[in-house]
Amino acid sequence: MKKRYLIGGIVLVAAVGYLIYMALSSSAIYYVTVSELLDKGSDTYDTNIRVTGKVTEGSIEWDAEKLELGFSVVEGNASLPVIYKGAMPDGFKAGADVMVEGRYHSDRIFRAESILLKCPSKYVPEE
Amino acid sequence: MVDTGHIALILCFIAAVYTALASAWGARSGSHAFTASARNGLLVVAVLYTLAMAAMLYAFMSKDFSLRIVTEHASRDLPAVYAFSALYADKAGSVLFWGWLLSLFAAVLALQKYNSYKQITPCAISILAVILAFFLALVTIVVNVFEENPYPPVDGFGLNPLLQNVGMLIHPPLLYLGFAGFMVVFAFVMAALIVRRPGMEWIGGIRRWTLFAWCVLGIGNLVGMWWSYIELGWGGYWAWDPVENAGLMPWLLGTAFLHSVAMLRKRHYLHTWGLALIIVTFIFVLLSPFITHGGIESPLHGFYASNYPPYILGAIVVTLVGSVVLLYARHRDFGKEDKPLSPISREGAFLLTNVIFLVLVFLIITGVILPRIVEGLGGSEIALERDYFDWSCGPVMLFLVFFMGVCSTLRWRKASLKSIGWNLLYTLFPAVIIAIAVLISGIGNWYALAALVCGFPLFTIMREWLLGTRARRRATGGYYAGAFLRLIGSNRPRYGGFIVHIGIILITLGVIGSSFYGLEGMETLDIGEEMTVGKYELSYDALDMREGSSKVSAVASLSISRDGKLIDTVRPEYNYWFSWMEPFAEVAVRTTPAEDLFVSLSWTSFEPGDESATFRVLVNPLIVWMWVGGGFLLLGGLVAFWPDRKRQSGSEAGVT
Repeated sequence: MKKRYLIGGIVLVAAVGYLIYMALSSSAIYYVTVSELLDKGSDTYDTNIRVTGKVTEGSIEWDAEKLELGFSVVEGNASLPVIYKGAMPDGFKAGADVMVEGRYHSDRIFRAESILLKCPSKYVPEE
Repeated sequence: MVDTGHIALILCFIAAVYTALASAWGARSGSHAFTASARNGLLVVAVLYTLAMAAMLYAFMSKDFSLRIVTEHASRDLPAVYAFSALYADKAGSVLFWGWLLSLFAAVLALQKYNSYKQITPCAISILAVILAFFLALVTIVVNVFEENPYPPVDGFGLNPLLQNVGMLIHPPLLYLGFAGFMVVFAFVMAALIVRRPGMEWIGGIRRWTLFAWCVLGIGNLVGMWWSYIELGWGGYWAWDPVENAGLMPWLLGTAFLHSVAMLRKRHYLHTWGLALIIVTFIFVLLSPFITHGGIESPLHGFYASNYPPYILGAIVVTLVGSVVLLYARHRDFGKEDKPLSPISREGAFLLTNVIFLVLVFLIITGVILPRIVEGLGGSEIALERDYFDWSCGPVMLFLVFFMGVCSTLRWRKASLKSIGWNLLYTLFPAVIIAIAVLISGIGNWYALAALVCGFPLFTIMREWLLGTRARRRATGGYYAGAFLRLIGSNRPRYGGFIVHIGIILITLGVIGSSFYGLEGMETLDIGEEMTVGKYELSYDALDMREGSSKVSAVASLSISRDGKLIDTVRPEYNYWFSWMEPFAEVAVRTTPAEDLFVSLSWTSFEPGDESATFRVLVNPLIVWMWVGGGFLLLGGLVAFWPDRKRQSGSEAGVT
């Protein structure tokens, strides 16, 4: 009886380990700030990355014909131009905290595949 | 009014502390005076708490901007119904609300007759009073929810438009009802362990509390998914965000515990395991506010962090250590275990189900905290994508659904291989045939998998019902429908469970259809132009501007045709909210049993003369079955919950 539990336990742990390993290897994404990304430069070209920052005032350009959203994300003094294929998500505006996910290319433009927005549950007046 | 509420809340805190002490003393010394006093104390807590809640709601309804909480979450133009939403949009407000529900439940427990659980109930009341005192400390001492503004503004900041939706009105209360319900169950179990009741006969007293908490929490999660689908505009319902996981994990653990309760009541088997599950469930209920209040960073739900996490973490550690020590000290009290004769029995199947639920929760919590651990060890900051959860939890969930087909037919103690063989012939075999047919027809490989995974448990339930109904009709005559209802009535927990299983099967179908076979299109159109997504042609007919007091709405009309035939018109909106100074999309969804057509007006300029607009159109197959499945969940829960007239006078009447 003991042996049976032991074997069952080992099989279970192995199965769980395998699931986590498979899932991890396919989906870990590096998380950087704008300045970290700019510092790393060419090391980060063409890998899947998440960048967080604020949408710069006056940088938002929506091209309704090409369905392309262009804007830049700032963090401190560092600024990163971003192009996203798709419409503005709800709540997207200058000053909003966003997290863009995609790839950074040698042309120094970040091509976002998704924009995640921190949707505030309360309004914080601008200082 | 504000002062009344504030004072009521402080008195309430004092009453809760008194109740905890008095009932603990009463339970220890056996003093009736103290027990009775504690019982009254708990009623006082509930009344004072309700008074404080009423004052708070009145402040929201009357837009009393002298209160900080009202200023931050409401505005003059906020409709009165959303006073509740505005309350739980606030961190402290949500804790206030949750604690209030708990105080009501505790009062229900105090008002019930103690007859069969004489020593347990006073002790459970004491534990609940401690939990209540903790909640009350959070909203009076740590943060004062009735904090006043030194200079009341003319208008408040307003409620996020995304939260102004009926889904958000009922999703949080359902979750808190479920959480509070599990807290009652936990308190009762701990009390039973503390007062050393020999045997496990008291477990019947918590079956219905468990069922209630589990059902409400499940529906609450589904309502949250529905809200996300209908309101957030991305067309999905689940993103594996930490905050979503925080609501899902207690439910999964509660599901495991619910199955354990069945095993503890019917067979005296695996006591320690079953009771350990409610401890884990309780820990995850506490983990939920820890996560949502910013204890673990959440990328999507940018709730602003509150200063509660350290206190909640403290409560988690204290409960974990205390309850595990208690369970270990008492684990020999339960009496002899009634071991099954073979692992191929319902006990064996239930145990396996339990283990798989734990594995599932382990995979999710790993995904939630692993990135933070890697970071803490000095590694690079990583995030886990939805892919991690999809590929680790997806297969486990599918297996669970499939396995429902096995569980329901196995007998207790030992199942005969011969009857298993016959069952499989009538249930698994047709499911395999249908799956192969779907595979060959080329409808889709995932649909073939869905046919196998969902077909097997569905046929199992149908076969059980058919055989049971036939046997009953043979015995009593009459109509099949009557015999079927009598069958359900004969064992409501079991057959209510079957109805819930059907709900889960439907939800699985909806998830598979919408995850793998969705279509998407996006285009910017001028009036009169058309776009095509899948079989649908959408023609952009008109754009109306409507000015309201809190927003300007751009309402587009699109006529939808399929195969050249006009079938419907949809009107998605794009609303510019004054208080928020930005636009939010209000989607239009055309639902049919086969698929949803989801139309979002994603952009328009709001400039006179420019009526061009960008539309995002999704086709989501089978998604409606998720919500129908939720209906089955509720129905099955009600069937199992409904009081049994025969048993009412018996032993279960005390606490159930």
